[in-house]
Amino acid sequence: MTNSNPIERLLKRGWTLTIAALLSLVAVYVRVVYFTPVESTQGPAQKIFYVHVPSAWAALVAFAVTGIVSLLYLKRRDEKLDTIGAASAEVGLVFGAVMLTTGPIWGKVIWGAWWAWDAKLTSTLFLYILFVGYVVLRGAVVDPEMRARFSAVVGILALILVPFIYFSVNMFRTLHPEPPVLRSGGPALPGSMLLTLMLSVVVFSVLYVGFLMVRYSLSVLKDLREKRAADGIS
Amino acid sequence: MGYPDNAIYAIVGYVVTTSILVGYAVVLFLRTRKEQRAQR
Repeated sequence: MTNSNPIERLLKRGWTLTIAALLSLVAVYVRVVYFTPVESTQGPAQKIFYVHVPSAWAALVAFAVTGIVSLLYLKRRDEKLDTIGAASAEVGLVFGAVMLTTGPIWGKVIWGAWWAWDAKLTSTLFLYILFVGYVVLRGAVVDPEMRARFSAVVGILALILVPFIYFSVNMFRTLHPEPPVLRSGGPALPGSMLLTLMLSVVVFSVLYVGFLMVRYSLSVLKDLREKRAADGIS
Repeated sequence: MGYPDNAIYAIVGYVVTTSILVGYAVVLFLRTRKEQRAQR
């Protein structure tokens, strides 16, 4: 890979971050298994918490980024913003898949059920489906300007759901617990568990940024190549 | 110790997480290689 242009440099940096984050994830796993105590009532299954919460964090950040850049796109009509929004939505679906699979596995242990149709779980599932729709919509609309405009509207509508999901545990009677760190009365975890959780959140955040940089760079490189090909034909 | 014997759920959770994240990294790697070939 040459470093001749800024996008190729961004792609290379994205890969560096991604690989560093994946290796750090192994270190987080080691800390979870060997250096973090087992929760006394839930047992070892509670350790799903250290990937479920960070993946939910990364997914919600990714979806919020898509919503915010969608708002900015409608104001500025800068196609870079549209490309960032699309990349973040796809990466958000990946972290969302982790959140929506680890949640039910943990739920089966502590609730005795894989799923509950309560406010938090249901609205999270709707958000995920909305972003699947966002990606499908982008694949279905050929005109780039129209695609960017339509998907920006979906991104903004989905953004409204993000704070609703976060605060739903305070607004409704729900099985899902309150956020473990950013909650009224401060973090509800012993120090060693909190440190493991925070390390995992940092690693998932870096992984999100790495994935986003790679995905964005690939989209820009593809667009540039297609424009060059179209210019060559015309 | 008296802990519930449910480590299998944690193991499945971590296997699923790793598979999804590494799987997506592999997809991005293949897309990168394809794009680099197309650029040449």
